[in-house]
Amino acid sequence: MASLESLTEDLLVRIYKGLASDADRKSWRLVCRDFHRIDALTRSSLRVLRVEFLRSLLANYPRLDTLDLSVCPRIDDGAVAVLLTSRGSPWAFPRAAASSLSPPGRDPLAWTRGLRKLVLSRSTGLGHHGLEQVIRACAYLESVDVSHCCGFGDREAAALSCGARLREVKMDKCLGVTDVGLAKIAVGCGRLEKVSLKWCMEIGDLGVDLLCNKCVDLKFLDLSYLKVTNDSLQSIGSLPKLEVLALVGCSLIDDTGLQFLGGGCPLLRVIDMSRCNGISSCGLVSVAKGHEGLVQLNASYSLTECSSILLRCFKDLKNLNAIKIDGARVSDSAFKALSNCTSLVEIGLGKCIGATNLGLMRLVSGCVNLRVLDLTCCHSITDAAIFAISDSCRNLTCLKLESCNMITEKSLYYLGSFCLLLEELDLTDCGGINDTGLEYLSNCLELSCLKLALCPTISDKGLGHIASKCRKICEIDLYRCNGIGDDALAALSSGCKKLRRLNLSYCSDVTDRGMEYLGQLEELWDLEMRSLFNVTGVGLMALAAGCKRLADLDMKYCENVDDSGFWALAYYARNLRQINLSHCNISNMGLCMVMSNLTRLQEAKLVHLNKVTVEGFELALRTCWVRIKKVKLLAALRFKLSSDVRETLHSRGCKIRWD
Amino acid sequence: MDLKMDLEERLRAETWGKPSSVNDLPQRVPPDRQTQFPNFASHKNLQKREDQDPSISNYGMRIEPSFSEFNRPSECQPPLPSNPISQDRGVQMNDILQLGKTQEWDPKAMLNNLSFLEQKIHQLQELVHAIVGRRGPVLGRPDELVAQQQQLITADLTSIIIQLISTAGSLLPSVKNSLSSASTPPIRQLGQLGGILNNSGSGIGLDSNLVLPSQGGSKVPDQSNQVDPMDQSAIDNLEDHESKDDEDGDEGENLPPGSFEILQLEKEEILAPHTHFCTICGKGFKRDANLRMHMRGHGDEYKTPAALAKPHKEAGSEMMLIKRYSCPYAGCKRNKDHKKFQPLKTILCVKNHYKRTHCDKSYTCSRCNTKKFSVIADLKTHEKHCGKDKWLCSCGTTFSRKDKLFGHITLFQGHTPAIPFDENKGGLSLQGEHNEDTNKVGNVSFSFGSSTPSSGGVQNIMEDVKGNVDDPSSFFSPLSFEASNFGGFNEFTRSAFDDSEGAFSFLLQASCNYTQKNGGQSSSNNLE
Repeated sequence: MASLESLTEDLLVRIYKGLASDADRKSWRLVCRDFHRIDALTRSSLRVLRVEFLRSLLANYPRLDTLDLSVCPRIDDGAVAVLLTSRGSPWAFPRAAASSLSPPGRDPLAWTRGLRKLVLSRSTGLGHHGLEQVIRACAYLESVDVSHCCGFGDREAAALSCGARLREVKMDKCLGVTDVGLAKIAVGCGRLEKVSLKWCMEIGDLGVDLLCNKCVDLKFLDLSYLKVTNDSLQSIGSLPKLEVLALVGCSLIDDTGLQFLGGGCPLLRVIDMSRCNGISSCGLVSVAKGHEGLVQLNASYSLTECSSILLRCFKDLKNLNAIKIDGARVSDSAFKALSNCTSLVEIGLGKCIGATNLGLMRLVSGCVNLRVLDLTCCHSITDAAIFAISDSCRNLTCLKLESCNMITEKSLYYLGSFCLLLEELDLTDCGGINDTGLEYLSNCLELSCLKLALCPTISDKGLGHIASKCRKICEIDLYRCNGIGDDALAALSSGCKKLRRLNLSYCSDVTDRGMEYLGQLEELWDLEMRSLFNVTGVGLMALAAGCKRLADLDMKYCENVDDSGFWALAYYARNLRQINLSHCNISNMGLCMVMSNLTRLQEAKLVHLNKVTVEGFELALRTCWVRIKKVKLLAALRFKLSSDVRETLHSRGCKIRWD
Repeated sequence: MDLKMDLEERLRAETWGKPSSVNDLPQRVPPDRQTQFPNFASHKNLQKREDQDPSISNYGMRIEPSFSEFNRPSECQPPLPSNPISQDRGVQMNDILQLGKTQEWDPKAMLNNLSFLEQKIHQLQELVHAIVGRRGPVLGRPDELVAQQQQLITADLTSIIIQLISTAGSLLPSVKNSLSSASTPPIRQLGQLGGILNNSGSGIGLDSNLVLPSQGGSKVPDQSNQVDPMDQSAIDNLEDHESKDDEDGDEGENLPPGSFEILQLEKEEILAPHTHFCTICGKGFKRDANLRMHMRGHGDEYKTPAALAKPHKEAGSEMMLIKRYSCPYAGCKRNKDHKKFQPLKTILCVKNHYKRTHCDKSYTCSRCNTKKFSVIADLKTHEKHCGKDKWLCSCGTTFSRKDKLFGHITLFQGHTPAIPFDENKGGLSLQGEHNEDTNKVGNVSFSFGSSTPSSGGVQNIMEDVKGNVDDPSSFFSPLSFEASNFGGFNEFTRSAFDDSEGAFSFLLQASCNYTQKNGGQSSSNNLE
C-alpha cells in the first residue's frame, strides 16, 4: 500500500482514464477510499439504475456532464421535484449520505450547472411539469434524449423548448408530438444541430419546414417513418450545414423530392433512404451528383432496379465508403461498375436478386478494402464466392451470410484462413456448415458475434472449438440448434466469459445442468431460453443466482419451471429489466413476488399464465405499477381487471398491450 | 383602341348634340373643364377631329358639360356658372331622375314625350332635307362627312325608337307607373335589343347602344318644366344627402380629377337594421330575397316566377363613375375630411366599418364568452370556429388553418404555437377537420346568401341617394360595357362583370320584371 500511496492524484487520474470498461472502473472504485475519490472526481458520465441513490450520486460526482436515467425506473414528476429541491431528500438514506464525499454546505444543485447531456429515454412516468423543471434547472444542457417516451406530446415538447442551449434533441417515438410541439422546439431551441424525430408519426411537412426555417445549424436530422412529402425535402434542401439525413420508410417522398436534396445541403455526408418505396435510381442519381462528398448511402429496400447510371455515379464519389442497395436487382455488370468504387468499406447486398458468384468475384476484385459485407439471402452464392471474398478482403470484420444454403465448411475454412479480423459472422440458416467448419472458424480469434441459428448440423463439439479459442465472443445465437446440449454451454461458460447475449431457444437438450454452467457467466445480460422443457426451477435458480447482470430474460414456454425458480428469480435477479413469462407455470404468488421484488423491471409479457387468476394479475400489477412501463396481457383480462389498475397504469405512462 | 373610343365618343356627341342642336355652347365651356375628365380619354383626339369638321365639333364639345351633369350631379354646377339654362338643366335632370322613383306616372308626361318625339322626327326630316339639298352644290365635301351624316341620321332614328319604346314601357301594367322606370328600364330593354343586334353582327347595334346616354339627356329639357315644381317635396327626405353630395363635389375638386365620387351616409342610415320594406304591410327585411318571399303572402301576382326571380344586379351601373364612400365619423381615416382619407368601396363596407370601428361590440360569443363583435356576421363566423380546431399563436393571434399559423410563426421571431388545454388532441383535430369542411360549405352558402342583401342594400341606398343617375348604358350589351370600360374604369369589379353577363342572357321580360320590383321597392323606400 505504501507504493500506492506514493502515486500522486494526478498519476492516479491518468491510470484511471486508461480503464476501458465499466466493470474495471467498478473494481477500481472498490480498491480504497482514494481510488474511489479519483473515480468520483474524474467521472463524467453516470448511468443510474435506481432513483433512490440518485441524489447522493449527483452530489458525489462534481464533474458529471452526462446523466443517463433511461434504465432507472420511477423517474416521475415527484422524483424530479425532490431531486431539484435544495433541501434533504426522503431517499437520502443515512448511510448513503454519510458516504458522500462532498464537503458539507455545498450547493446540492451544483450538478445542474455542469450537466450537458441528459438521457431520459423511456422515462414514461415523467410528465411535462417534471420535464420542464429539469430542463429549466439544467440551464447549460446541450443534449437531451427523450426517445421512446411514447406518451410524450406537445406539452412535453414545449417543456423541452425551454432549453435554449440545446444542440441535440432525440425524441424517437414520442408518439404524441405533433407539428405544434416541433414548432415549439424549433422556435425555443434555435441552436439545434441534431434532431431525431424517428417514429414521431404526427409530425408532418409543416413542422419540418418550420424546423428547417428556424434551426439553420442543423447537422443531423432523422425523419424516419414520418409522413413527410417532397415539401419537407425542399425545406431540408435549404439547410446549409446538414451532414446526416435519415429518411427511412418515408414512403411519400419520391425522385422529385430528392432533386431538392441534390441541389441543396452542400455538406451532406450520410443519407439513409432505406425502405422509401417512392424513390428510384433516378432520384439517387440526382442526390449523388449533387454531393461529391457523400460518405454513406443507404437505399436498401427502396430500389427495385439498380441502374448502371447510378453505379457510374458512385464511381465519382471519392469518399463513398458505405453503400447499401439491399433488395435491388443487380446484374454482373453492375458489380463490375461497383468494383470501381475502391473506397468502399461497407456494401449491403441483402436479398439482391442477381448477386451471383461471378458478380461478387468481380466486386471484390476492386473493393479490396471491404470490412462489412452483407450477403443475406443471396441464395445462389457458393464457397467459390466466399473464397474470392476472403482472399481479396483480408480486413473483413463483418460478414452476413444468412440463408446462403450453398456454402459449406470450406467457406469457413477460407474465412478462418484469411479473414483473421472477422468479428461478426452471421451463418443463420446455413444448413451446409458443420462442426468441422466451426473448428476452422475458431481461428478468427477476434470473433465477438456468432449467429448459428437454425443450423441443426452443429453440435456441442463444434461450439466447443469456438468457445475454446474465441475468447472475445460476447453474443452467440443458437436458436433452434437442436444439436446443442449442456456440454456446449459448459464450454461457453468456461471459454467465453464475456458472453453478454445468448439465445438458446428451442435447444431442447439443454437441462438444469446447462443452466448451472450459464450461471457462471457473470456478464450475461440478455438470455432467450424459450421452450426449454428440461429446465426446472433448479436451473433457473442457478442462473438467477449466478448472472447478476441479467437484464433481459425470455423464458416463454419454459413450462417445467416451478415457483421455486421464480422465487429465486425474484430474489436474485435484481437487475432484470425485461421479462417474458408467457406460457409459464407461475402461480399467483410467484408472479406477485417477481413483479414486486424486481425493482428495475420495466417490461413484462404475461400472457397465457394458466395458474394465475385475475386477482393474481390485479395484485401483481398493483405491486409494480409505479415503475412498470410496458406490459403485455391477454385481451380477455381487459375487462376483468379493475379500472383502478388500468387507469393507474395508464396515468403512469405504462403501455398495456392486449394480446 | 383610341380609334374605337373615338368613334364611340363621336357618335355620342352626334346623337346627343343633334337633337338639342345647341351650337353656341362650346364657347361657354371653359377649356380647363374639358380636360377634367380623364374618363373620356379620347377627348383630345376628339378635339383634333373637331378641327376638321366644325359641325361635329360642336356636338363633341357639347357632350362635356352634359355628361358631367349626368354622372356627377354635384359637379355639374360649378363648370357652367355663366349658363343658367344649362345649370337649370342639370338640376332639373337630377330632379327628374329623383322623381323617377317618387312620382306617379301622369298622362302629361306621356303627352310631353310624344310631342317631343314628334319634334324630333321633324328635326330629322329637316336634316335629311338639308342633306338632299346640299348634295348638288357641295361637291368638294369629303365622303367622310356624308357618311357621318348618315350615321347621325341612323343614330337619331334609333334614339327615336328608344324614346318610343320607353314611352310605351311606361304604359306596361306591371310597371308601377314610375317615371324612373319609364326612363331607365325600357332603355335597358332596348339596350338588350341592341345587344342582341350586336350579337347578330349588325352594325347598327353599336349605334343603338351608344345612342342611349343621349336619350336620357335629350329627354330632360322637355320634362323639366313640368317636373320641377313638384319634385321639391318629393326629394325632401333625400335633401341632406344631396347637399352632402354637393359638399363632396366641392371637395372632390381637390381629389385626383375624375378618380371617384364620394358618398357619405348618415349614422342612422348606416345602422338601420332593415333596408327592404314591404309596400303593402310595411314589414322590414334585411334581404331582398326575404322580402320577395314575404310578398308571396300578399297575392298571386307576387308568386310568378318572374316576380320571385332575383332582380339582376345593375351590372355596370357604376360604369360611368366609381362611387366611393366616406364614413360619417369625424376624424376617422375613412372620413373624407381625414388627411389620408381612404374611401370605402361599398355600402356594405361602410356599414361594417362603422359598426366595427365606431360602435359597441354588443355581440358576445356564446362559446368562449370573451370575443365580442359589433357585426353579427363576424360573430357567426367566429362562432363557427370558436373552440374548434383553433390554431393559436403565443402572441394571441388565432388561425383557422394550421399552415397559416405555421406561416405566421415562420415569419415572426420568437412566436410559437400555443398548445390547447384539452389532452385528447388527436380525436379532436380529426373532428375539427371534419367540422372545417362542413363549415366551409356553410360559409359558402352564407356568403352567397349575404351577397343578395349586400347588393340589394347597395342598390337601395344608391337609389335613395342618387336616384337613377346611373348611366343607363350600363344596362347594355357586353359591347357597350367594353366600350365604356375603355374609358378607364378598370376598377370595375369582376363580379359585376359576371352579373352583367348573366343579365344579358335575360330577355325583355326579365328586365320588365326587374323594373317592377325596383320601382315598387324604391317608392316604398321613399315612403318610409
